[in-house]
Amino acid sequence: MKAGGPQPCRLPHGGAIDRSRPLQFTFDGRQLVGYAGDTLASALLANGVRVVARSFKYHRPRGIYTAGEEEPCALVEIGEGETRAPTCRAPAVPLTEGLVARSQHCWPSVGFDVGRIIDFTHPLWPAGFYNKTFKWPSWRTWERSVRRMAGLGRPLTGPDPDRYEQVNAHCDLLICGGGPAGLCAALVAGRAGLRVMLVDQDDNFGGTLNWERVEVDGRAPAAWVGETLSELAALPRVVLLPRTVAAGIYDHNVVTLAERSQVKDWRECLWTVRPRHILLTAGAIEQGLIFPGNDRPGIMLAGSVRHYLNRFAVVPGRRAVIATNNDSGYQTAFDLADRGIEVAAVVDLRERVDPTLEQRLSDAGTGVYSAARIASTGGSKGISRATVQHRNGRRLARLDCDLLAVSGGWAPRVHLLAHAGGGLRFDDATQSFLPDRLPPGISVAGSANGTAGLGAALQEAAGAARGACAALGVDAEIEELAGLATDE
Amino acid sequence: MLRIPCPYCGVRDQSEFQFGGEAALVRPAAPEAASDSEWADYLFYRNNVKGVHLERWLHSFGCRQWFLVERDTVSHEIRSSRPLAEAVDSDAGNSGEPE
Repeated sequence: MKAGGPQPCRLPHGGAIDRSRPLQFTFDGRQLVGYAGDTLASALLANGVRVVARSFKYHRPRGIYTAGEEEPCALVEIGEGETRAPTCRAPAVPLTEGLVARSQHCWPSVGFDVGRIIDFTHPLWPAGFYNKTFKWPSWRTWERSVRRMAGLGRPLTGPDPDRYEQVNAHCDLLICGGGPAGLCAALVAGRAGLRVMLVDQDDNFGGTLNWERVEVDGRAPAAWVGETLSELAALPRVVLLPRTVAAGIYDHNVVTLAERSQVKDWRECLWTVRPRHILLTAGAIEQGLIFPGNDRPGIMLAGSVRHYLNRFAVVPGRRAVIATNNDSGYQTAFDLADRGIEVAAVVDLRERVDPTLEQRLSDAGTGVYSAARIASTGGSKGISRATVQHRNGRRLARLDCDLLAVSGGWAPRVHLLAHAGGGLRFDDATQSFLPDRLPPGISVAGSANGTAGLGAALQEAAGAARGACAALGVDAEIEELAGLATDE
Repeated sequence: MLRIPCPYCGVRDQSEFQFGGEAALVRPAAPEAASDSEWADYLFYRNNVKGVHLERWLHSFGCRQWFLVERDTVSHEIRSSRPLAEAVDSDAGNSGEPE
């Protein structure tokens, strides 16, 4: 702890981090400290670093927007020398001892970037202006300075000294996504004796169970995940692959996986897997909301705020506003309030708000603006205020805040399904695209299928695994798994 | 990458095989009497089938046998595969045989 130094935005306890193992790292030359179990993003937030990147064209300050691979803003450079990697997503980079991270696409620093002049003079720079403006006397005159302004990371120039491995594999059931649905399906199929491969891009299996405050089978989520994993690890025909991205589904359901290494001998491993059946339990991605100034540092997806708060014990702000169009945003307000963080208000786009949620909010000492939206935000290096407007345009309030959590609903992760030629249909009830017309040999379960609620997702995953067993001619005995989850 | 069922070895990766083109081409019955256009049809012209296609494959990095595969050229679904010898008598060839 002594070496840890102050981490101004870290809560004194809680989270799935190992506080006995502080890890030193640097960001733009600044010595910072995080803990084992952190990602680069959570460690930066814990140290109160808000501006980590600059936007592509206007060089506007950008912070950390998500807590996962879907990060669009916090793109940083990792490492030094020949193994440097440009444009890495900070929430997808696990923190390691001595990690060197640098901001990119800014000069002289990410906090003060001369390129911001482009933003202040933006009416001069319409789309496609380069083609018309920079041809006199010759493109060559401008090329160097334009090239310096454009682009994100610096590419590597030398050969890559690292080793990369390749593995060919076969299995009966490949499960993409190791959240609750994936774990449950792996358990069902593994107990039935199938050769199962379970893949997750995170270091830890468990997906949302790593950060949502729920109960599974009457137990804490971490306990359920731990027990499930130890049972799976004991099954000889089950292969667990954390830190692995299912990168693509090809003809005849051949799947490629990219595994990140934890050892020095090799950096990444490409798996080519030929499964007999594929189950997609990849979960869902939270959508943002659109309003002027929605890119300021301090604006973050509501689910990601819960992620940082509950998994890493990091508070991304001291006074929060929640803007949402669905019920999941309220959970962020409750989680923040439980940790003693002030919630200025919840701004809900919907006319009608669930009265029980409203009651819980007022118990937590805050309130809700219904049929309202964020009209604008202010603040120079990060959000410091948000203006709330009724849907009819009437101004309701100006709220001081340093965190704006937004939730625009959840979209199923259907990328892999799309690779395989599966179709989508728009579902009016959830306002999202859901899987439709599944290709042969592929099934989808859990929130990747638009199924809401943990219990329903587990049931569906167990059913999908049973279906896969039946399709492969194996009996699955799984009755005791049904109906084991309750939301908080 | 396709996964092709060799009738002798079982399902293998496409990289073990060599494509042998459209199957069931019929050599002109009286070669000496065939016209240039009949020869050209036999030697060079092929159907570009959209749908089920009967084709030859060689398991070149395996049993080195030729065999027939019925493949849907739209979805890559493989309907069947069978040894070449079995197919010679019974096979009526592709649906859209050149006239």
